[in-house]
Amino acid sequence: MTLLLQALINGLMTGALIAVPAVGFSAIFAVLRYPNFAIASYATIGAFAAWWANVVLGLPIIPALVIAFAIAGTVGVVAEESALSRLRGNGALIVAIASIALNLVLENIIRFFFGNDMRGYDLPLMRDMRFGDLRIGPQQLQSLALAVVIMAAMFAFLRYTRFGKAMRAVADNPDLARLKGIDPARIAIVTVFLGAGLTGVGGVLIGLDTSIDPLTGYRVLLSVFAAAVLGGLGSIPGAVVGALALGIAEELALIAVPATYRTAVGFIAILIMLTFRPRGILGERAV
Amino acid sequence: MSAAAATILLAVEGVVAGYGAAEEILKGTSLTVAPGEIVSIIGPNGAGKSTLLKTVAGLVAARKGRISLKGADVTAANALGRTRAGIGFVPQERNVFGAMTVAENLEISGFQDPGGIRTRSEEMYQRYPMLAEKRRALARTLSGGQRQILAMAMGLMNAPSLLLLDEPTAGLSPKAADELFEAIVALNKGGLPILMVEQHALEALEISTRGYVLVSGRNSREGAGPALAADPDIRRLFLGG
Repeated sequence: MTLLLQALINGLMTGALIAVPAVGFSAIFAVLRYPNFAIASYATIGAFAAWWANVVLGLPIIPALVIAFAIAGTVGVVAEESALSRLRGNGALIVAIASIALNLVLENIIRFFFGNDMRGYDLPLMRDMRFGDLRIGPQQLQSLALAVVIMAAMFAFLRYTRFGKAMRAVADNPDLARLKGIDPARIAIVTVFLGAGLTGVGGVLIGLDTSIDPLTGYRVLLSVFAAAVLGGLGSIPGAVVGALALGIAEELALIAVPATYRTAVGFIAILIMLTFRPRGILGERAV
Repeated sequence: MSAAAATILLAVEGVVAGYGAAEEILKGTSLTVAPGEIVSIIGPNGAGKSTLLKTVAGLVAARKGRISLKGADVTAANALGRTRAGIGFVPQERNVFGAMTVAENLEISGFQDPGGIRTRSEEMYQRYPMLAEKRRALARTLSGGQRQILAMAMGLMNAPSLLLLDEPTAGLSPKAADELFEAIVALNKGGLPILMVEQHALEALEISTRGYVLVSGRNSREGAGPALAADPDIRRLFLGG
Protein backbone atom coordinates (compact mmCIF):
# COMPACT_ATOMS: atom_id res chain seq x y z
CA MET A 1 0.00 0.00 0.00
CA THR A 2 2.83 2.38 0.96
CA LEU A 3 4.59 1.49 -2.28
CA LEU A 4 1.45 2.32 -4.22
CA LEU A 5 0.88 5.63 -2.43
CA GLN A 6 4.54 6.60 -2.88
CA ALA A 7 4.25 5.77 -6.61
CA LEU A 8 1.11 7.93 -6.87
CA ILE A 9 2.82 10.88 -5.14
CA ASN A 10 5.94 10.53 -7.29
CA GLY A 11 3.72 10.22 -10.36
CA LEU A 12 1.88 13.43 -9.56
CA MET A 13 5.20 15.25 -9.02
CA THR A 14 6.67 13.91 -12.29
CA GLY A 15 3.41 14.61 -14.14
CA ALA A 16 3.27 18.21 -12.92
CA LEU A 17 6.81 18.81 -14.18
CA ILE A 18 6.03 17.27 -17.59
CA ALA A 19 2.76 19.25 -17.75
CA VAL A 20 4.54 22.61 -18.11
CA PRO A 21 6.41 21.80 -21.36
CA ALA A 22 3.40 19.74 -22.52
CA VAL A 23 1.22 22.86 -22.21
CA GLY A 24 3.79 24.79 -24.27
CA PHE A 25 3.88 22.05 -26.92
CA SER A 26 0.07 21.88 -27.08
CA ALA A 27 -0.33 25.66 -27.31
CA ILE A 28 2.01 25.76 -30.32
CA PHE A 29 0.19 22.81 -31.91
CA ALA A 30 -3.24 24.37 -31.30
CA VAL A 31 -2.40 27.61 -33.11
CA LEU A 32 0.17 26.57 -35.73
CA ARG A 33 -1.20 23.04 -36.36
CA TYR A 34 2.13 21.18 -36.41
CA PRO A 35 4.07 19.28 -33.70
CA ASN A 36 7.17 21.30 -32.86
CA PHE A 37 9.79 18.80 -31.71
CA ALA A 38 12.33 21.61 -31.25
CA ILE A 39 10.69 22.15 -27.86
CA ALA A 40 13.27 19.64 -26.54
CA SER A 41 16.03 22.16 -27.22
CA TYR A 42 13.87 25.06 -25.93
CA ALA A 43 13.59 23.13 -22.64
CA THR A 44 17.37 22.64 -22.56
CA ILE A 45 18.00 26.30 -23.43
CA GLY A 46 15.69 27.35 -20.60
CA ALA A 47 17.47 24.99 -18.21
CA PHE A 48 20.90 26.41 -19.15
CA ALA A 49 19.69 30.03 -19.09
CA ALA A 50 18.39 29.51 -15.55
CA TRP A 51 21.63 27.72 -14.57
CA TRP A 52 23.63 30.71 -15.85
CA ALA A 53 21.39 33.14 -13.93
CA ASN A 54 21.40 31.03 -10.78
CA VAL A 55 24.99 29.75 -10.60
CA VAL A 56 26.99 32.38 -12.53
CA LEU A 57 24.99 35.50 -11.62
CA GLY A 58 23.91 34.20 -8.22
CA LEU A 59 20.21 34.94 -8.70
CA PRO A 60 17.53 32.99 -6.79
CA ILE A 61 15.45 30.41 -8.64
CA ILE A 62 12.35 32.56 -9.29
CA PRO A 63 14.20 35.33 -11.22
CA ALA A 64 16.18 32.54 -12.95
CA LEU A 65 12.88 31.02 -14.08
CA VAL A 66 11.79 34.37 -15.51
CA ILE A 67 15.08 34.64 -17.42
CA ALA A 68 14.67 31.05 -18.67
CA PHE A 69 11.16 31.89 -19.89
CA ALA A 70 12.31 35.02 -21.70
CA ILE A 71 15.36 33.44 -23.35
CA ALA A 72 13.63 30.18 -24.39
CA GLY A 73 10.65 32.20 -25.68
CA THR A 74 12.91 34.52 -27.70
CA VAL A 75 14.89 31.61 -29.18
CA GLY A 76 11.57 29.96 -30.08
CA VAL A 77 10.33 33.05 -31.91
CA VAL A 78 13.65 33.59 -33.74
CA ALA A 79 13.76 29.91 -34.78
CA GLU A 80 10.13 29.99 -35.88
CA GLU A 81 10.43 33.18 -37.90
CA SER A 82 13.82 32.43 -39.45
CA ALA A 83 13.35 28.73 -40.23
CA LEU A 84 10.06 26.96 -39.53
CA SER A 85 7.54 29.57 -40.68
CA ARG A 86 9.02 29.52 -44.20
CA LEU A 87 8.08 25.82 -44.48
CA ARG A 88 4.48 26.07 -43.24
CA GLY A 89 3.11 26.18 -46.78
CA ASN A 90 4.53 22.69 -47.41
CA GLY A 91 2.36 21.02 -44.76
CA ALA A 92 2.61 20.00 -41.13
CA LEU A 93 4.79 16.93 -41.74
CA ILE A 94 7.56 18.93 -43.40
CA VAL A 95 7.60 21.50 -40.57
CA ALA A 96 7.61 18.71 -37.97
CA ILE A 97 10.63 17.07 -39.65
CA ALA A 98 12.36 20.45 -39.90
CA SER A 99 11.74 20.99 -36.19
CA ILE A 100 13.62 17.72 -35.44
CA ALA A 101 16.57 19.05 -37.49
CA LEU A 102 16.32 22.41 -35.73
CA ASN A 103 16.38 20.60 -32.41
CA LEU A 104 19.67 18.90 -33.32
CA VAL A 105 21.21 22.22 -34.37
CA LEU A 106 20.18 24.03 -31.17
CA GLU A 107 21.21 21.09 -28.98
CA ASN A 108 24.69 21.15 -30.52
CA ILE A 109 24.98 24.91 -30.12
CA ILE A 110 24.37 24.38 -26.38
CA ARG A 111 26.96 21.61 -26.38
CA PHE A 112 29.45 23.91 -28.13
CA PHE A 113 29.16 26.57 -25.43
CA PHE A 114 28.60 24.48 -22.29
CA GLY A 115 30.08 21.05 -23.09
CA ASN A 116 28.55 17.71 -22.16
CA ASP A 117 29.05 17.91 -18.40
CA MET A 118 26.15 17.58 -16.03
CA ARG A 119 25.42 20.71 -14.04
CA GLY A 120 23.31 21.38 -10.98
CA TYR A 121 21.58 24.46 -9.67
CA ASP A 122 22.81 26.24 -6.57
CA LEU A 123 20.25 24.92 -4.13
CA PRO A 124 20.42 24.30 -0.38
CA LEU A 125 20.51 20.63 0.57
CA MET A 126 17.36 19.58 2.39
CA ARG A 127 16.24 16.33 3.94
CA ASP A 128 13.18 14.58 2.56
CA MET A 129 10.01 15.12 4.56
CA ARG A 130 8.57 11.94 6.05
CA PHE A 131 4.87 11.18 6.48
CA GLY A 132 4.90 7.71 8.03
CA ASP A 133 6.66 5.59 5.44
CA LEU A 134 6.07 8.13 2.69
CA ARG A 135 8.87 10.49 1.64
CA ILE A 136 8.58 13.77 -0.24
CA GLY A 137 11.51 15.98 -1.20
CA PRO A 138 11.09 19.70 -0.33
CA GLN A 139 12.54 20.59 -3.75
CA GLN A 140 9.93 18.38 -5.42
CA LEU A 141 7.20 20.16 -3.47
CA GLN A 142 8.57 23.57 -4.46
CA SER A 143 8.72 22.50 -8.12
CA LEU A 144 5.17 21.17 -7.88
CA ALA A 145 3.99 24.49 -6.44
CA LEU A 146 5.81 26.40 -9.19
CA ALA A 147 4.30 24.16 -11.87
CA VAL A 148 0.80 24.70 -10.45
CA VAL A 149 1.27 28.50 -10.30
CA ILE A 150 2.68 28.62 -13.85
CA MET A 151 -0.20 26.54 -15.26
CA ALA A 152 -2.78 28.60 -13.35
CA ALA A 153 -1.21 31.76 -14.84
CA MET A 154 -1.40 30.22 -18.33
CA PHE A 155 -5.07 29.31 -17.87
CA ALA A 156 -5.84 32.80 -16.56
CA PHE A 157 -4.04 34.30 -19.56
CA LEU A 158 -6.10 32.20 -21.99
CA ARG A 159 -9.40 32.83 -20.23
CA TYR A 160 -9.21 36.47 -19.18
CA THR A 161 -6.84 38.37 -21.47
CA ARG A 162 -7.50 39.77 -24.93
CA PHE A 163 -4.52 38.00 -26.46
CA GLY A 164 -5.36 34.75 -24.68
CA LYS A 165 -8.86 34.79 -26.11
CA ALA A 166 -7.45 35.67 -29.53
CA MET A 167 -5.13 32.65 -29.25
CA ARG A 168 -8.13 30.41 -28.54
CA ALA A 169 -10.04 31.95 -31.43
CA VAL A 170 -7.17 31.37 -33.90
CA ALA A 171 -6.79 27.79 -32.61
CA ASP A 172 -10.52 27.20 -33.11
CA ASN A 173 -10.93 28.78 -36.55
CA PRO A 174 -8.13 30.91 -38.08
CA ASP A 175 -10.21 32.06 -41.08
CA LEU A 176 -13.03 33.31 -38.87
CA ALA A 177 -10.50 34.93 -36.52
CA ARG A 178 -9.06 36.83 -39.50
CA LEU A 179 -12.56 38.04 -40.38
CA LYS A 180 -12.89 39.40 -36.85
CA GLY A 181 -9.81 41.57 -37.29
CA ILE A 182 -7.34 39.22 -35.55
CA ASP A 183 -4.01 38.76 -37.29
CA PRO A 184 -3.18 35.02 -37.01
CA ALA A 185 0.50 35.69 -37.85
CA ARG A 186 0.82 38.04 -34.88
CA ILE A 187 -0.99 35.56 -32.62
CA ALA A 188 1.34 32.80 -33.86
CA ILE A 189 4.37 34.82 -32.68
CA VAL A 190 2.82 35.40 -29.24
CA THR A 191 1.94 31.70 -29.02
CA VAL A 192 5.42 30.52 -29.97
CA PHE A 193 6.96 32.91 -27.42
CA LEU A 194 4.65 31.61 -24.69
CA GLY A 195 4.93 27.97 -25.73
CA ALA A 196 8.72 27.99 -26.05
CA GLY A 197 9.00 30.05 -22.85
CA LEU A 198 6.87 27.57 -20.90
CA THR A 199 8.93 24.72 -22.30
CA GLY A 200 12.07 26.52 -21.11
CA VAL A 201 10.57 26.84 -17.63
CA GLY A 202 9.66 23.15 -17.79
CA GLY A 203 13.33 22.39 -18.55
CA VAL A 204 14.35 24.28 -15.39
CA LEU A 205 11.81 22.43 -13.22
CA ILE A 206 13.05 19.09 -14.56
CA GLY A 207 16.64 20.23 -13.94
CA LEU A 208 15.79 21.22 -10.36
CA ASP A 209 14.60 17.67 -9.80
CA THR A 210 17.82 16.10 -11.14
CA SER A 211 20.59 17.89 -13.07
CA ILE A 212 20.99 19.43 -16.53
CA ASP A 213 23.04 18.62 -19.62
CA PRO A 214 22.53 19.21 -23.38
CA LEU A 215 20.12 16.26 -23.56
CA THR A 216 17.83 17.43 -20.71
CA GLY A 217 15.00 18.36 -23.08
CA TYR A 218 15.51 15.45 -25.45
CA ARG A 219 15.10 12.95 -22.59
CA VAL A 220 11.62 14.22 -21.77
CA LEU A 221 10.50 14.85 -25.36
CA LEU A 222 8.71 11.51 -25.66
CA SER A 223 6.90 12.03 -22.33
CA VAL A 224 5.86 15.56 -23.36
CA PHE A 225 4.59 14.34 -26.73
CA ALA A 226 2.82 11.36 -25.12
CA ALA A 227 1.17 13.67 -22.56
CA ALA A 228 -0.11 15.95 -25.35
CA VAL A 229 -1.42 12.99 -27.38
CA LEU A 230 -3.03 11.44 -24.28
CA GLY A 231 -4.85 14.65 -23.39
CA GLY A 232 -5.77 15.48 -26.99
CA LEU A 233 -3.34 17.29 -29.31
CA GLY A 234 -3.99 21.03 -29.17
CA SER A 235 -5.90 20.88 -25.89
CA ILE A 236 -4.13 22.72 -23.08
CA PRO A 237 -6.23 21.28 -20.22
CA GLY A 238 -5.75 17.94 -21.99
CA ALA A 239 -1.96 18.35 -21.86
CA VAL A 240 -2.15 18.78 -18.07
CA VAL A 241 -4.45 15.76 -17.63
CA GLY A 242 -2.29 13.72 -20.03
CA ALA A 243 0.92 14.65 -18.20
CA LEU A 244 -0.50 13.72 -14.79
CA ALA A 245 -1.89 10.42 -16.17
CA LEU A 246 1.44 9.63 -17.82
CA GLY A 247 3.46 10.55 -14.72
CA ILE A 248 1.36 8.26 -12.55
CA ALA A 249 1.43 5.46 -15.15
CA GLU A 250 5.22 5.68 -15.39
CA GLU A 251 5.69 5.51 -11.62
CA LEU A 252 3.18 2.68 -11.22
CA ALA A 253 4.91 0.75 -14.00
CA LEU A 254 8.17 0.97 -12.06
CA ILE A 255 6.61 -1.18 -9.33
CA ALA A 256 6.33 -4.04 -11.79
CA VAL A 257 9.15 -3.49 -14.33
CA PRO A 258 12.80 -2.29 -14.16
CA ALA A 259 13.43 1.48 -14.51
CA THR A 260 14.99 0.98 -17.95
CA TYR A 261 11.50 0.26 -19.30
CA ARG A 262 10.11 3.56 -18.04
CA THR A 263 10.29 5.15 -21.50
CA ALA A 264 8.19 2.33 -22.90
CA VAL A 265 5.21 3.62 -20.90
CA GLY A 266 5.08 6.75 -23.09
CA PHE A 267 5.16 4.67 -26.29
CA ILE A 268 2.47 2.32 -25.00
CA ALA A 269 0.29 5.28 -23.91
CA ILE A 270 0.55 6.84 -27.41
CA LEU A 271 -0.21 3.48 -29.03
CA ILE A 272 -3.27 2.78 -26.86
CA MET A 273 -4.65 6.29 -27.20
CA LEU A 274 -4.19 6.49 -30.98
CA THR A 275 -5.78 3.07 -31.38
CA PHE A 276 -8.85 3.53 -29.19
CA ARG A 277 -9.39 7.29 -28.85
CA PRO A 278 -7.33 9.28 -31.36
CA ARG A 279 -8.87 12.57 -30.16
CA GLY A 280 -7.32 12.07 -26.72
CA ILE A 281 -8.91 12.25 -23.28
CA LEU A 282 -10.28 15.79 -23.63
CA GLY A 283 -10.46 15.92 -27.42
CA GLU A 284 -8.72 18.02 -30.00
CA ARG A 285 -8.70 21.82 -30.18
CA ALA A 286 -10.28 22.55 -26.83
CA VAL A 287 -7.33 24.89 -26.09
CA MET B 1 -32.31 52.80 -59.39
CA SER B 2 -33.80 53.92 -56.07
CA ALA B 3 -32.87 57.16 -54.37
CA ALA B 4 -30.90 55.18 -51.83
CA ALA B 5 -28.82 53.71 -54.62
CA ALA B 6 -27.70 57.12 -55.85
CA THR B 7 -24.43 56.70 -53.96
CA ILE B 8 -22.52 53.48 -54.28
CA LEU B 9 -21.14 51.87 -51.12
CA LEU B 10 -19.71 48.68 -52.62
CA ALA B 11 -18.77 48.29 -56.27
CA VAL B 12 -17.62 44.97 -57.74
CA GLU B 13 -16.50 45.42 -61.34
CA GLY B 14 -15.68 42.55 -63.71
CA VAL B 15 -14.24 40.31 -61.03
CA VAL B 16 -12.59 37.03 -62.04
CA ALA B 17 -11.81 34.66 -59.19
CA GLY B 18 -11.56 30.98 -58.25
CA TYR B 19 -9.85 28.51 -55.96
CA GLY B 20 -7.37 26.47 -58.02
CA ALA B 21 -4.68 27.92 -60.25
CA ALA B 22 -6.67 27.46 -63.45
CA GLU B 23 -10.23 27.21 -62.12
CA GLU B 24 -12.38 30.28 -62.67
CA ILE B 25 -15.63 30.36 -60.70
CA LEU B 26 -16.39 34.06 -61.21
CA LYS B 27 -15.97 35.11 -64.84
CA GLY B 28 -16.33 38.86 -64.83
CA THR B 29 -19.02 39.36 -62.21
CA SER B 30 -20.21 42.85 -61.29
CA LEU B 31 -22.59 44.29 -58.70
CA THR B 32 -23.18 47.33 -56.55
CA VAL B 33 -24.63 47.95 -53.11
CA ALA B 34 -25.87 51.40 -52.10
CA PRO B 35 -26.32 52.72 -48.55
CA GLY B 36 -29.50 51.40 -46.93
CA GLU B 37 -30.02 48.53 -49.38
CA ILE B 38 -30.53 44.82 -48.96
CA VAL B 39 -29.10 43.19 -52.06
CA SER B 40 -29.58 39.45 -52.69
CA ILE B 41 -27.53 37.26 -54.98
CA ILE B 42 -29.43 34.22 -56.21
CA GLY B 43 -28.68 31.53 -58.73
CA PRO B 44 -28.42 27.79 -59.26
CA ASN B 45 -25.89 25.63 -57.39
CA GLY B 46 -22.35 26.22 -58.60
CA ALA B 47 -23.17 29.70 -59.96
CA GLY B 48 -20.43 31.22 -57.76
CA LYS B 49 -22.66 33.05 -55.26
CA SER B 50 -20.68 32.10 -52.14
CA THR B 51 -17.40 32.59 -54.00
CA LEU B 52 -18.52 36.12 -54.87
CA LEU B 53 -19.18 36.91 -51.19
CA LYS B 54 -15.85 35.35 -50.17
CA THR B 55 -14.10 37.43 -52.83
CA VAL B 56 -15.74 40.61 -51.51
CA ALA B 57 -14.71 39.55 -47.96
CA GLY B 58 -11.11 39.00 -49.10
CA LEU B 59 -11.03 35.25 -48.43
CA VAL B 60 -10.67 34.53 -52.16
CA ALA B 61 -8.35 36.76 -54.21
CA ALA B 62 -9.69 38.53 -57.30
CA ARG B 63 -7.47 37.76 -60.30
CA LYS B 64 -9.02 40.47 -62.44
CA GLY B 65 -11.45 43.30 -61.84
CA ARG B 66 -11.85 45.83 -59.06
CA ILE B 67 -13.60 45.93 -55.68
CA SER B 68 -14.13 49.28 -54.00
CA LEU B 69 -15.76 50.24 -50.72
CA LYS B 70 -16.88 53.84 -50.19
CA GLY B 71 -14.86 54.76 -53.28
CA ALA B 72 -11.59 53.28 -51.96
CA ASP B 73 -10.02 50.43 -53.91
CA VAL B 74 -9.77 47.41 -51.59
CA THR B 75 -8.99 44.79 -54.29
CA ALA B 76 -5.48 44.18 -52.99
CA ALA B 77 -6.51 44.05 -49.31
CA ASN B 78 -6.73 40.64 -47.60
CA ALA B 79 -9.58 39.54 -45.31
CA LEU B 80 -8.06 41.37 -42.35
CA GLY B 81 -7.74 44.57 -44.39
CA ARG B 82 -11.33 44.31 -45.67
CA THR B 83 -12.60 43.81 -42.11
CA ARG B 84 -10.69 46.89 -41.02
CA ALA B 85 -12.11 48.79 -44.01
CA GLY B 86 -15.64 48.06 -42.76
CA ILE B 87 -16.78 44.82 -44.39
CA GLY B 88 -18.39 42.33 -41.98
CA PHE B 89 -18.74 38.78 -43.31
CA VAL B 90 -20.86 36.02 -41.75
CA PRO B 91 -19.84 32.72 -43.37
CA GLN B 92 -22.35 29.94 -43.98
CA GLU B 93 -20.52 27.32 -41.92
CA ARG B 94 -18.12 27.37 -38.97
CA ASN B 95 -19.22 30.92 -38.30
CA VAL B 96 -18.83 30.85 -34.51
CA PHE B 97 -15.97 29.80 -32.22
CA GLY B 98 -17.51 26.58 -30.91
CA ALA B 99 -15.18 26.09 -27.94
CA MET B 100 -15.82 29.62 -26.62
CA THR B 101 -18.85 30.96 -24.78
CA VAL B 102 -21.42 33.27 -26.38
CA ALA B 103 -20.00 36.21 -24.41
CA GLU B 104 -16.45 35.35 -25.50
CA ASN B 105 -17.56 35.04 -29.14
CA LEU B 106 -18.98 38.56 -29.02
CA GLU B 107 -15.96 39.89 -27.18
CA ILE B 108 -13.43 38.42 -29.60
CA SER B 109 -15.45 39.73 -32.54
CA GLY B 110 -14.84 43.27 -31.30
CA PHE B 111 -11.08 42.65 -31.21
CA GLN B 112 -10.32 45.74 -33.29
CA ASP B 113 -11.80 48.16 -30.78
CA PRO B 114 -11.35 46.79 -27.26
CA GLY B 115 -12.71 49.99 -25.67
CA GLY B 116 -16.13 49.53 -27.24
CA ILE B 117 -16.62 45.80 -26.60
CA ARG B 118 -18.71 46.12 -23.44
CA THR B 119 -21.12 48.67 -24.92
CA ARG B 120 -21.56 46.78 -28.17
CA SER B 121 -22.00 43.42 -26.39
CA GLU B 122 -24.76 45.00 -24.29
CA GLU B 123 -26.34 46.32 -27.50
CA MET B 124 -26.32 42.80 -28.91
CA TYR B 125 -27.84 41.37 -25.70
CA GLN B 126 -30.63 43.95 -25.92
CA ARG B 127 -31.20 43.36 -29.61
CA TYR B 128 -31.12 39.57 -29.25
CA PRO B 129 -32.22 38.63 -25.68
CA MET B 130 -31.55 34.95 -26.39
CA LEU B 131 -27.82 35.75 -26.46
CA ALA B 132 -28.05 37.34 -23.01
CA GLU B 133 -29.75 34.21 -21.67
CA LYS B 134 -27.09 31.98 -23.22
CA ARG B 135 -24.09 34.20 -22.64
CA ARG B 136 -22.24 31.57 -20.58
CA ALA B 137 -23.11 28.67 -22.92
CA LEU B 138 -20.51 27.29 -25.31
CA ALA B 139 -21.35 28.31 -28.87
CA ARG B 140 -21.24 24.70 -30.06
CA THR B 141 -24.20 23.88 -27.78
CA LEU B 142 -26.54 26.41 -29.48
CA SER B 143 -29.27 25.35 -31.92
CA GLY B 144 -28.85 26.18 -35.64
CA GLY B 145 -31.04 29.30 -35.43
CA GLN B 146 -29.39 30.52 -32.24
CA ARG B 147 -25.97 30.00 -33.80
CA GLN B 148 -26.93 32.07 -36.85
CA ILE B 149 -28.14 34.89 -34.60
CA LEU B 150 -24.85 34.73 -32.70
CA ALA B 151 -22.91 34.71 -35.98
CA MET B 152 -24.82 37.79 -37.15
CA ALA B 153 -24.27 39.57 -33.83
CA MET B 154 -20.56 38.74 -34.12
CA GLY B 155 -20.57 40.28 -37.58
CA LEU B 156 -21.95 43.49 -36.06
CA MET B 157 -19.39 43.78 -33.26
CA ASN B 158 -16.84 45.57 -35.46
CA ALA B 159 -19.54 48.10 -36.47
CA PRO B 160 -19.27 47.30 -40.20
CA SER B 161 -20.36 49.63 -43.00
CA LEU B 162 -21.62 46.62 -44.97
CA LEU B 163 -22.70 43.17 -43.76
CA LEU B 164 -22.25 40.11 -45.99
CA LEU B 165 -24.44 37.10 -45.16
CA ASP B 166 -23.68 33.75 -46.79
CA GLU B 167 -26.84 31.58 -46.82
CA PRO B 168 -27.94 32.66 -43.33
CA THR B 169 -31.01 30.38 -43.28
CA ALA B 170 -29.25 27.22 -44.54
CA GLY B 171 -30.25 24.23 -42.44
CA LEU B 172 -32.80 26.15 -40.36
CA SER B 173 -36.43 25.15 -39.75
CA PRO B 174 -39.00 27.30 -41.65
CA LYS B 175 -39.91 29.07 -38.38
CA ALA B 176 -36.26 29.80 -37.51
CA ALA B 177 -35.65 30.95 -41.12
CA ASP B 178 -38.61 33.38 -40.93
CA GLU B 179 -37.31 34.76 -37.64
CA LEU B 180 -33.89 35.24 -39.16
CA PHE B 181 -35.33 37.08 -42.19
CA GLU B 182 -37.17 39.35 -39.71
CA ALA B 183 -33.90 39.96 -37.87
CA ILE B 184 -32.18 40.84 -41.18
CA VAL B 185 -34.93 43.33 -42.12
CA ALA B 186 -34.75 44.88 -38.63
CA LEU B 187 -30.99 45.29 -38.95
CA ASN B 188 -31.37 46.93 -42.34
CA LYS B 189 -34.06 49.29 -41.04
CA GLY B 190 -31.45 50.43 -38.53
CA GLY B 191 -29.42 51.66 -41.52
CA LEU B 192 -27.04 48.76 -42.17
CA PRO B 193 -26.64 47.78 -45.85
CA ILE B 194 -26.69 44.01 -46.40
CA LEU B 195 -25.43 41.87 -49.27
CA MET B 196 -26.58 38.27 -48.99
CA VAL B 197 -26.55 34.96 -50.76
CA GLU B 198 -29.63 32.90 -49.98
CA GLN B 199 -31.00 29.48 -50.92
CA HIS B 200 -34.55 30.58 -50.16
CA ALA B 201 -34.32 32.84 -53.19
CA LEU B 202 -37.89 34.10 -53.42
CA GLU B 203 -38.16 34.92 -49.72
CA ALA B 204 -34.81 36.71 -49.91
CA LEU B 205 -35.85 38.73 -52.98
CA GLU B 206 -39.10 39.77 -51.31
CA ILE B 207 -37.19 41.52 -48.50
CA SER B 208 -34.46 42.86 -50.80
CA THR B 209 -34.17 46.29 -52.38
CA ARG B 210 -32.47 44.73 -55.39
CA GLY B 211 -31.34 41.32 -56.55
CA TYR B 212 -28.81 39.79 -58.92
CA VAL B 213 -29.17 36.43 -60.65
CA LEU B 214 -25.82 34.74 -61.15
CA VAL B 215 -25.38 31.86 -63.63
CA SER B 216 -22.02 30.12 -64.20
CA GLY B 217 -20.10 32.98 -62.61
CA ARG B 218 -21.67 35.67 -64.80
CA ASN B 219 -24.43 38.22 -64.22
CA SER B 220 -27.63 36.92 -65.75
CA ARG B 221 -30.38 39.25 -64.47
CA GLU B 222 -30.75 42.11 -62.05
CA GLY B 223 -33.58 44.25 -60.80
CA ALA B 224 -35.73 45.30 -57.87
CA GLY B 225 -36.11 42.44 -55.36
CA PRO B 226 -39.92 42.10 -55.32
CA ALA B 227 -40.05 42.47 -59.14
CA LEU B 228 -37.54 39.65 -59.58
CA ALA B 229 -39.46 37.54 -57.06
CA ALA B 230 -42.63 38.02 -59.14
CA ASP B 231 -40.91 37.33 -62.46
CA PRO B 232 -42.29 34.09 -63.98
CA ASP B 233 -38.85 33.01 -65.28
CA ILE B 234 -37.30 33.41 -61.85
CA ARG B 235 -40.21 31.62 -60.18
CA ARG B 236 -39.87 28.77 -62.69
CA LEU B 237 -36.14 28.58 -62.02
CA PHE B 238 -36.52 28.46 -58.24
CA LEU B 239 -39.92 26.85 -57.76
CA GLY B 240 -39.77 24.54 -60.76
CA GLY B 241 -43.22 25.47 -62.00
